[in-house]
Amino acid sequence: MNRFDELIHAPTRLSLVSLLAATEWADFRFLRDSLGMSDSALSKQLTTLEEAGYLEIRKSFVAKRPRTSARLTANGHEAFAGHVAALQEIVARAGKSVVPPL
Amino acid sequence: MTDAERALAEMHARRAQVVETGLVPQWYWAAVGGLMILFVVAIESGIPWLIATGSIAYALGLGAMIALVVRKAQVQVRYELLGARGILTIVGFAAVLIAVGLALGFALDSQGVPFPATLAMLPVAAGMTLGGPRLMAHLRTLMLSRPLAGSR
Repeated sequence: MNRFDELIHAPTRLSLVSLLAATEWADFRFLRDSLGMSDSALSKQLTTLEEAGYLEIRKSFVAKRPRTSARLTANGHEAFAGHVAALQEIVARAGKSVVPPL
Repeated sequence: MTDAERALAEMHARRAQVVETGLVPQWYWAAVGGLMILFVVAIESGIPWLIATGSIAYALGLGAMIALVVRKAQVQVRYELLGARGILTIVGFAAVLIAVGLALGFALDSQGVPFPATLAMLPVAAGMTLGGPRLMAHLRTLMLSRPLAGSR
């Protein structure tokens, strides 16, 4: 289960996957604004994760307006859980507890 | 702080960001409470045109507020974060407000107090206005106490 995932660990993708891991889905604009990225930079990261099978992109209409959203796939959630476990193990081995920040 | 610790801290911070964004805004509770009072006043007035106007205004107002909240929603927080305890808390909150409203309304009516439903709705609306944000704060704490992953 513990598996350090290089794809997820890259700084921008770590933030992106962390956001998505807490959601059923997230709006493209929310991800872009939260991460302070340009549309093209975010699209590139989403595509990378999509090609790895970690993410799916959905296009829909809300109040007749187009909306692009993203969600982690089951594989994506599994990879994230494995990466969290791997990080926690690293911290535990270093003799430190993992306490969420207040 | 090691790289692993930094990464875990980032994960916690991003989850907190999602939870904060996914909560129902404070204004919603007061607005629904106000609409409910206006609706009950209209119904209890017994004046046909006021009943019709109040009913339509209530339906349109509530629909517009829900549509606004849904349209502005940028994330759907993962259900597992809310969990059974969170859902039960929400159901309990609604049940208490309904019980208070009904009990008070029937009690006032049995005493012959005029406009019992309107009077009973006042503490219910106050409960929504004051309790809604508290409910959200409780849910926020609950969701942030969950493990990041693995035990879901």
